[in-house]
Amino acid sequence: MDYSPLMLSLKVAAISTTVVFISGVFFARAFARKQFFGKSVIEAIFILPLVLPPTVVGFALLLLFGKHGWIGKWLLEWFDVQIVFTWLGAVIASIVVSFPLMYQSAAAAFNSMDDRIENAARTLGASEWRVFRTISFPLAWPGLLAGLVLSFARGLGEFGATLMIAGYIPGKTDTIPMSIYFAVESGQMEKAVFWVVIIVALGFSTILWLNWWSRRNMLRYANENRSR
Amino acid sequence: MKKFIKTMLLLAIAAIPLGCANKGEEGMKKKEIAISAAASLTDALTELKNVYEDEHDDVFITLNFGSSRKLATQIEQGATADIFLSASLDDMERLKEQGLINESTIVDFTENSLVLITNNVVQIPVSSYEQLGSAKSDHISMGEPDTVPSGRYAKEVLEHLQLWTPLQDKLVMGSDVRQVLTHVEMGNADYGIVYASDAWSSDKVTVVAVADSSWHSNIIYPGAVVSDSNYPAEAQDFLDLLSGKKGSAVLQKYGFK
Amino acid sequence: MLEVDIKKRLSHYNLEVDFSMGDEILVLFGPSGSGKTTILHTIVGLTKPDEGTIKLGDKAFYSGKKDSMSVQARNVGMLFQDYALFPHMTVEQNIQYGMKRKDEHRSFVIGQLLQVLGIHQLLVKYPHQISGGEKQRVALARALASEPSILLLDEPLSALDKQTRIDCQNELIRLHEMWKIPFIIVTHDREEAEKLGDRILFLDHGKIIDERKSPYTDSPHSTYSY
Repeated sequence: MDYSPLMLSLKVAAISTTVVFISGVFFARAFARKQFFGKSVIEAIFILPLVLPPTVVGFALLLLFGKHGWIGKWLLEWFDVQIVFTWLGAVIASIVVSFPLMYQSAAAAFNSMDDRIENAARTLGASEWRVFRTISFPLAWPGLLAGLVLSFARGLGEFGATLMIAGYIPGKTDTIPMSIYFAVESGQMEKAVFWVVIIVALGFSTILWLNWWSRRNMLRYANENRSR
Repeated sequence: MKKFIKTMLLLAIAAIPLGCANKGEEGMKKKEIAISAAASLTDALTELKNVYEDEHDDVFITLNFGSSRKLATQIEQGATADIFLSASLDDMERLKEQGLINESTIVDFTENSLVLITNNVVQIPVSSYEQLGSAKSDHISMGEPDTVPSGRYAKEVLEHLQLWTPLQDKLVMGSDVRQVLTHVEMGNADYGIVYASDAWSSDKVTVVAVADSSWHSNIIYPGAVVSDSNYPAEAQDFLDLLSGKKGSAVLQKYGFK
Repeated sequence: MLEVDIKKRLSHYNLEVDFSMGDEILVLFGPSGSGKTTILHTIVGLTKPDEGTIKLGDKAFYSGKKDSMSVQARNVGMLFQDYALFPHMTVEQNIQYGMKRKDEHRSFVIGQLLQVLGIHQLLVKYPHQISGGEKQRVALARALASEPSILLLDEPLSALDKQTRIDCQNELIRLHEMWKIPFIIVTHDREEAEKLGDRILFLDHGKIIDERKSPYTDSPHSTYSY
């Protein structure tokens, strides 16, 4: 059995989750509790990949990142980086489809936070960066972690858009979901079941771990709320 | 995209007679012939449907397109169909063994060929399959051999030319023909290998070479009347039209042999 | 010397106040929704007035929409209504959060502060593990540990029971004597206003409608009329 799909899937999901986490937290924090012109439009664009069919997302990505696409052309000319039909394409597809989940979780976490706590830190002379690092981030962490795990799981399972932009090149861009799809379609049930078991185990254990973790760590915040 | 719109139109057209069928009971009752056909036949059959309906006022035809394997499965599960037009001998064989089709009506009505296509952006394209080995190209797209029929034949061709292993890293497998065409149309893949009829359906690709039919097993399209057909005579009639002179003229127009 | 002369449009009325104060305890007294908290927020820098000036000594906090000092630079201590302690930090971490230097003298002062407030034994606890009165004292210690040049208290005692309240009132007066900086206390409790304030500003619908010296303050201008 060739294990390359496992390693590739983990690599793609890990990188896309990192990117999505940092950018999702950044935008959610920047937009939290603020109203400005165009905010709802930008948020709608952020959430869009969640409601669009994966093949449409994939097609849009091809338009942007294809060899002759608006961004892809430029990347190829200036940096000699090709996105389409490489594992980077799989990373981009994962980023686009999992970003909405991270943004939603992070926005909910920051919006539900008591802003007096952040203001208290400001009155104590803490810079905005210190307020974020020592107050906002740790207090939002349970919500951020939920977003992180969801994004990882979504990235791991991404298929439709990935197939379009990364293509299916056995040994190069075959993630676990792609291996499952082609194994099922061609009737190689043993191979399909093997990968299904692996991906279910991965997804199941991450969610189990999240539940265990949150039950243990949310206690502190739960108590805090009760004593109010 | 063009094909997508066409498919949607067809679906809409197919839906209209269904709606009329009930109303029609009072007036003249039309005979409905349902054809389950391989997706690659979409354009040719749409034209032939009109030809047939013009000649037979009392008959209307509904078209159901899909992959041959899925259509065969539908028929196995009792879906209504009068004619089965397959893109593969295997699926026809499968239904024949179960007695679901009328064996005596089986006719190989056309053949397809495998072409090498490219996008107009490639500066000096290769002019034959053999040149693929030495050509400077990043990616060549084809159907996934185990799941897409044209991919299976493409693999046979590349194996015959001893290019399958050397090109391995460049071969981008599509999950269907449409994807292969998209990759070539957008210039992400330099070349693609598809059926001649598929290449015809896209106006953004050019055919640079046709595979010699001895390099791959024959790409035969068999058709037959389904055993359960309500109108076997009319179904046979259509099959005759398809395999006759008029039919092959239309099929050739759309890239078939 | 704090000088406040501001105007701000609020949803139901216009806030328009003008007052100044020295190192005293000034009480802003009035019904809820009379603009008391908004005044505190403009001084600390969490909200901007529409026009006017706010000055502490020669430091201009605000002199127009485009000329507003950041919250961090103002060095104004603020005690929030429900204390806004950092729930994920111990009492000690809370208190140390705003400390600007940690030399020996400072540690001594903080030690003394903890002693006076009676919270030195709480240092390792988390906010959810201590009582309301203790939270209030921790919040006070946290605000003072950052060495503010003025302290604002928004309904500091409203969440406490009667006995704790009286204890805390006495502590506030004591702390003010020790610290010698302006304190502004917002309250809607008349008794509390009279007990704590050297001076009381009566607010209604964003305007100062009356100003009294506290009856407990021995001053020639004291009025004992209520």
